[in-house]
This record gives sequence, structure tokens and C-alpha cells, in this order.
Amino acid sequence: MTRWSAVIVQELLCTVRERLPQLLLAVFVGMIAASAFIGSSARSSVTGVYQEALRQGLTTVANPFDSLSPLYYARNTVIYIVLIGALLAIVIGVRSTLRDRQARTADLILSRDVNLSFYLGSKLAGLALFVLLVLAVSAMINIGCISIVAGHVLSVGDSARIAALYALAGLFMLPFVALGMITGIRSSSATSALLTPIVIWSVVIFILPLLGTAAHPVSLLNPVSAPPASGNGFFAATSSLVDPLSLGEQFKHVAALMLADPQATGTMAGSIMALAVFAVAVCTAVAMTGRKRMRRMLHD
Amino acid sequence: MTEMLTLAKKEITELRRNRLLILLFGFLALAVILSVVVASADFRLKIADYHHYLDALKAAGSTATAPAPQLFPLQLLRGGMEYLEIIGSLFAVVLGTSMITKEKGRGTLALIFTRPLGRFAFAGGKILALSLVWAATVGALFLVIVASLLFVGNAPLQGSDYLRLALAGAHTTGYLIMWSLLAMTLTALARRAGTGLILALVLWLVVVLIIPQIGDTMDPDNQIPGGLFASLQVDKSHEQAVMAHFTGYETTRDLIEQTSVTKQYERATFAYLGIKNEYNQQPLASIWAGTFNNTLWLLAALATSVSTALLSGTKKTILRKAP
Repeated sequence: MTRWSAVIVQELLCTVRERLPQLLLAVFVGMIAASAFIGSSARSSVTGVYQEALRQGLTTVANPFDSLSPLYYARNTVIYIVLIGALLAIVIGVRSTLRDRQARTADLILSRDVNLSFYLGSKLAGLALFVLLVLAVSAMINIGCISIVAGHVLSVGDSARIAALYALAGLFMLPFVALGMITGIRSSSATSALLTPIVIWSVVIFILPLLGTAAHPVSLLNPVSAPPASGNGFFAATSSLVDPLSLGEQFKHVAALMLADPQATGTMAGSIMALAVFAVAVCTAVAMTGRKRMRRMLHD
Repeated sequence: MTEMLTLAKKEITELRRNRLLILLFGFLALAVILSVVVASADFRLKIADYHHYLDALKAAGSTATAPAPQLFPLQLLRGGMEYLEIIGSLFAVVLGTSMITKEKGRGTLALIFTRPLGRFAFAGGKILALSLVWAATVGALFLVIVASLLFVGNAPLQGSDYLRLALAGAHTTGYLIMWSLLAMTLTALARRAGTGLILALVLWLVVVLIIPQIGDTMDPDNQIPGGLFASLQVDKSHEQAVMAHFTGYETTRDLIEQTSVTKQYERATFAYLGIKNEYNQQPLASIWAGTFNNTLWLLAALATSVSTALLSGTKKTILRKAP
């Protein structure tokens, strides 16, 4: 085992053993499992409402949920990744570097002939591996629950689409892990280490979409996107500025295309590029951390 | 009583000097102002679209007219109130946690308890300080809201609008104090400082985001962009007739939402501000009749958080050693 793989294994073990991320993990996996059943309940109520409207002669349009793909049941999952998945990523990232500072192991490790960028890169790789394992388990649970709700085993094509969604979730969560690591290294207290990335997350998820589309914060929790504001004047200017930075919306856009949402239009390339650029930028920032930063004392 | 006031005074002085918290409150004020800017820009676009529509009708030789979009100034606050609901409560959690962690971090906790304090004086001083700080902060935020409505939104406010804003402000103060006290309780009960913050964040995640999200997702009208009933071309009166056949489902959905104190807060404030259409321009008595249960649930949650903060802030509980 090389020293770098030892760091990866150590990081993986420490993260698995930490009780508090486990709590968030339980909420995350629990909600992923529940999402298919919530989707099923919503779908049956819509079908009931449609049939009642039809019976009362109030509508002549076709049932909007006719011949809907079983992938519909995975739509809530996207929101849980944006909310719980990102927070889980932040918490494990912050805990990873804070652990070194609180236990003063950073001093010990840095007394050896260790390249700091490789050390932090290996820690990040260990956490990324943890995230991928969590997402792989979540994907299997999600496919299983959707199969139960749909009443048949998901086709290979649909399963591949869900697997692709979780691969994308990995790309979405990785920069939040790295962001957590950075604030864990740079903050003067454990509270600000956790708070800073959460504030950044809240800006990215709730504030930037409002500037670009006038979408209300709570409506962003709904997997069905609100109709965007008129694309001229004020919003034409703001959306061109903030849309690439609205990572939650970029993720939701690609996820909707992956899940074959009939309302979703456009291509995936731009959004995937925005997510990848953010991931590369934040991971590079982790690797560029200086030694002095790692050894600073915490004030709480 | 004197020691409680002394402790409260010390807390307020420390909070006033805390740059991180001042930064957070500034951020919250900025988010609220931005939401008013965006809402008023959105309204101006709707007016422009309306005029284009009328011009197109005229050009086509039609004499038909359409009702112009009406500006209800307090409805511009929807985004801002949602920020207070989500981000405000998050900051309240951080503030509540810091009330205990800062004492533990500096080692002043043991020092304070060497003094002859009453059993609940320590927690009482913190609760009093938090309540005053939140009352002042929300007061300042609502002044910012009024200023942004008047000067950014160009929205004229009537006398009753100020009363409605004051009622929404009172609900907001209670809601944020409740979150700070819950976080303070969890931090006091946790043996390690970081544990309390993460437990409070998980609680925040479940109550503020997940439960309302489940309720919102189960709403049949939220299943299609623009609304299910609009896509089925069913108007509001017939919508109610259809939904009358789904009372069981709607009751379950409502119960799920009601387990979240955030939803109770949202329902009450949205009603007083007229953001919810059925309460818009309604007299206050009629709004109270429709939403008093939401206000009472919020008060019950506040009372619970005060009690738990008092009970968990005793010397015996708070000075337990980490294993």
C-alpha cells in the first residue's frame, strides 16, 4: 500500500465511523427510498383528479400523465440530492479537515516528507470514493423502490438512466465536499467552517435562481420547475450572468433530461460543463492550500 | 433576576461585536432587498407584456379588453419571506449554537457557574438576550423591507399594510427565536460542541426543507408546470368541486405539512401579507379566523423551545464532561 492509498483508506474509514454524517446519510438514503412512494402517491392522485374532472365533463384534454415512464418516480430524488446530498457532502468535507486540525494530526503529518497537494488530493479522493459508494447504494435502492412502485423490474435502459443520474450527482456533490474541506482548513472556528459552505450552498441553490428567473425559493423545492420569467429586459441580463452559477438548477436541468421528463428541453452539454468547471475549480483550490493554513489553531 | 439581566447584557454586548453575525444579518437583508427588486422587475415585465397584448389586440382590430395586472405591494414580499423562512432559520440555528459553543470554547462556562447563580439564570439570560437580539434584527429587517417596497418597488403602502407587516414581523421574531433556542438546547445537551450544531442542522433540514417539500410535491396542482388544473383547463370554482372528492388525500397532505412549524409560520405570514390569494385584501379578523391555529402552533413551538432551553441550560446538564 502506497502512502497515498493509505490516506485514501484512512479517510474512508474515518468518514464511515463518524456518527453525525451517518445521521445525514440515514436521512438521505431514507428519503431516496421514500421518493418513489411519494411520486407514486402524487401520480395516483393526479390520475384520480383527471378522471374526476373527465367524469364531471370539465375537461377534454388528454391525461397529462398517460403513458408516463417509471422514471417519473425518480424526480423527487433530484431534489433530495440538491438538498440533503449537498449538505452531506459539505459536512463530510468540513469534518475531514477539521478532524486533522482538532486532533493536531496535521502538525504530525506535515512534519514528514509529504507533498501537501498530494495529501489533500488523497483525502479528497477518499471522500469522493465514500460519496460514490453512497450514491451507488442509493441508486440500487432507488431502482428497487421504483420497480416495486411500477410493479415490474425496471428495463436496462431506465436503470442506466438512473445510474447516469447518480453519476451526475457525484459530479454535483464533489465540489461541495471540496468546499467543505477548504473552509475546514481556512476557518478560524468549527462553527464558521461549517457555516460558510452552507451559506454558499444557500446562495447557489436559493438566491441565484431567483435573480435569473424570479423563481421563489420554496418553489425550487418542487421537482416541477416553475415557468421562468419573461426572457427579456431585466431577466435577460441577470439570467445570462447567474444561470451558469446556479448549479442546483443546472443539475436539475440535466437530471430532467436524463429522466426523460417530457417538459425538459435543451441539451445537457452546457450544464454538465458548468458543473465540471465548478468541480475542477474547487478541487484545484483544495490542492493549492498552503502548509501554514493547515496548522492554524481553531478558536472554539 | 439581576444576574439574569447581567448575563443578558453581556450576551447582547458580545453579539453586537460579533462580525460574523453582523455579516450574516447583512446578507439576509441583501437577500430580502434582492427579492423585492426581482419581484418588482417581474411585475413591470407583466405590465409590459399586458400592454403588448393590448397593442396586438388593437392592431388586429379587436375591441376586446383584458384586466390589467394589479399590484398588491405586500405580495412582492413572497421571496423575501421565504428567505427569512429558510435562510433566516439557518442563521438562527447558528446563533443559538454559538451561545453555548463560545462559552465552551473559551472555557468561560465553568467560570460563570462558579458564581452563585439561580438554577435558570444562565439559560434565562441567554433566552432574554436572544429574544431582544431577534426582535431588534427583525425590526431592522422589516424597516429594510418597507424601504425597499417604497423606493425599489415603487409600491405605495397604506396604513393597514404597516399593521400587516408588524404582524408578519411578530410571527418572524417568534419563529427565529424558536430556532435559536432549539439549537441552543441541542448544543447544551450534546457532549461535544460540533455535535449540537450538526444535530440542529439535521432538524432544520427535515423541518424547513424536507417536510414542506413532501407536502408541496404531493399537491396535485404542482405536478405540471403552470398547474394541473390550468393544463386541464379547469377553472378555480370547478377545481374546488373536483378536489372535494379527494378530502382524505388532501387531509393527509395537510397533516404532513402541519407537522412542520415552518409551514405554520408560512401559512400565517402569507395570509397576513395577502401573498396567499384567498386572504389578499381581507380584513384582519377574517385572516385571524382562518389562520389562528397556525399562529397558536407557532406559539406552542416557541413555548416548547423556551422550556427546553431553560431545562437544558442548568449547571448540572451543561457541565457534563465529554466521555
